[in-house]
Order: sequence, then C-alpha cells, then structure tokens
Amino acid sequence: MIRSKLELTLDDLYETEGVDACILYRIDGIPITVRTPRDSAIIEVMFWLEKQIKHVLRNMDKEGLKAATFDFKNYQILLTPSSRSTVLVTLINPHAHKQLISIEIARAKSKIHKCVS
Amino acid sequence: MSKRVKSGIYGLDELIGGGFRKNTVNIVHGGIGVGKTTFCFQYALFGLNRGEKVVFISFEMTKEQIIRDCNELGLSEIEEHIESGNLKIIHIYGEDLAFPTISLVDILKENKTDTDHIRFIIDPLTHYSMFLDDEKRKSLSTIFQSLRDFGTSVITLEKSHPNDAINNGSLMPLYLGDTVIHLDNLGFGELFNRTLRVAKHRGSKHGEGLYPYNIESGLGIVILASEHDINKVTTTKEFDEQFIAAIKQVSNIDIVGEKLAKRIEHLRNDWNHSESPEYILDLVTKNEK
Repeated sequence: MIRSKLELTLDDLYETEGVDACILYRIDGIPITVRTPRDSAIIEVMFWLEKQIKHVLRNMDKEGLKAATFDFKNYQILLTPSSRSTVLVTLINPHAHKQLISIEIARAKSKIHKCVS
Repeated sequence: MSKRVKSGIYGLDELIGGGFRKNTVNIVHGGIGVGKTTFCFQYALFGLNRGEKVVFISFEMTKEQIIRDCNELGLSEIEEHIESGNLKIIHIYGEDLAFPTISLVDILKENKTDTDHIRFIIDPLTHYSMFLDDEKRKSLSTIFQSLRDFGTSVITLEKSHPNDAINNGSLMPLYLGDTVIHLDNLGFGELFNRTLRVAKHRGSKHGEGLYPYNIESGLGIVILASEHDINKVTTTKEFDEQFIAAIKQVSNIDIVGEKLAKRIEHLRNDWNHSESPEYILDLVTKNEK
C-alpha cells in the first residue's frame, strides 16, 4: 500500500547516521508523518517549522530554489520540496556526513514523489 | 467502555476506537466539495442496511436530489429504505429557520420513533449560523442535548473563513460536539489532496494523524491509513506485567489505593504506545504516595 511505502521511506531516512529527525509536511504546514526522538528541543523546532513552512516555500518558489537550509544551535534543518503538496524536512546533526545524508534525502524525495503524485 | 455506533466510513472506525460513542453528536467540518454529504450517506446506509432507523434533516438538498446523488454514487439502495419507512428525509429551507414557528427541537421530537436508538443526520447545520440571531443560536445546546437523548448524530458544518461574518456562530457546534472530524481538500491532485483529521473524540482515544482519503464509486469515502497509523491507536498487551506489578504496589497505598488501582487498570486496557509505561507508572506511584 502506498501509505506503508511512505512510512518505510521515512523509517529508512531516520535510520541514516546523523539524521536526528525527519518529518514530511503538507505544504500548509500540517505534519503528515513524523520520525523524531522524544526531545523538547526538537519539539520547539517543529513549532517553529509549522509557522514558517508556508512562508519559506513561497520564497523558495519565488526564487526558484530546490532546497533550503537553516542552521540552529544543535541542528541543521534541510527543507526539500518532495512534490506539489509535500515538503520533506530533515534535522541533521551538525557533525554528520552531509554528503551521504544529502544522497539519502534525494533518494527519499524521489520515493515520496512516486508515492504521493 | 461505552457502546459504539459504526460510522460506515471505510477505515474510520479503526482510528476512533471502534466507532462513534452511542448517544453523541459528531461534527463533520470542512469546506465545499470535501465529501461531507457523502459521509452522511454512508453513515445513514450503514445503519439502514442493518435494520436501523435514520432521520435525515437536509437544509440544502431535497429528497429527490438526495436520491439522485446516492444513485450516482452507486448507493442506490437508499430508495428501498425510504419506501420501507426506515429512512425519513426532512427538507427544510435554511432561510425558513428565521421564522419563529420553526424549531429544530420540535422537528426532532415529532420524528422520534418508537425505537430506542436513531441515527440522526443534519446536513448542514451551517444555516443555523447564517440565519439565526445570537439568542437563537444559544438554543444549540438544547438541540444537541435532544439529539443525544434520541440517538447518535452526524452533523455537517461548512468551514468558514476566519474573517467571515458567520464565523463566530459556526464555531459553536465545534465546541458543543462530542467528536469533530475535519475534512480538507487542497486541490493539488496528490495523495494528501483530500485529508481527514480527528480533532476531538470525547471520552475516547483517537488517531492524531493526517489521513488521506478518496471518494470511490459504490463505496463513498475510503480512508487510506497505513498499518503504522492503525498501530498507533491499537492497544497493546506487551507491558501487562509492569501494569500488574504497579496495580499490586498502589493497592497498598492508604485510602486512595483501590481508586488508583482502578485507574491503572484503565490505563493498562488503553495502552497503545510502543514504549514501556515504566516512567509513567513510577511517576504516578511517587506522586500519589
């Protein structure tokens, strides 16, 4: 089933070393599926994200950007639009292997696109 | 656990603990074209096909329009139920509610049959917000209580824009309802184009996710929840030993022991987390000593 494939895709990305959390949002900022540890710092980031996603996506669309990165104290947040109505958000550890993670994100993005489109 | 009334929506009951709680008022809230009326048809037909009685109060569609729409959706058995008398469709023009002689409570009383439980449907209640003054809107609590006395109801409500003049009135049923289900249609044509969210389901656990759905011919609304979604609301017996040990431990606490043991038993029966309850049980035991 398509929904299960989507869950598996997020599970795989979440298991990648250096990925602290990954969340698939609908473009109106509503979380579709979430993989996070129980950590209050991540919950704060999620609150921030829910408020920002619409505006960030609008600006990304305006500027023709394929992805956007935000650097926080303990995380780097990568926003990657995965389809017309979804955006994949990945929270990574600042010391993680960024190239490896970017490959995993690209793979996840492609799978999500196939699932939801 | 309270008795449940199956919703008839494919995939919904698994997410709301088995169905709507009996004798409750359940609100389906959403914008234009999300499937609110289809929801009502499915709720009605699930009961009708099992010999239940349904009263359908429509503020928009006439009986003929309802029959035509059901036929087009492939739910053609509706005509049999009207003929048998098990389905009563009452069509009222929304603007007629402005006349003081028309009272929804009286309509409900007049149509209450001898059966002890009826499925009531009001589609949509939005006209109450649009045509009634503030004083009359207050009668909503009385209407809701009557509905609870007579059976289990589904009421649809149009989603209004935050700046609309009707907004204040249209929010009131959301506070008064026992369940609130939001239906959304983004218009992007993807999997999460049409989504359902259970915002509240009083006295019962419910799924907290965003669930995509389709409207299929011959079926109506079909929710596409994943195994992962369903597992999140399914109770587990995996930690029974820890619960039993905690119940034994708290039973010895002075005067509150027995009450607390009952509560932990309740928690045990409803536990749907994949994590151990150890932390919570420790916290409760320490706090209640």
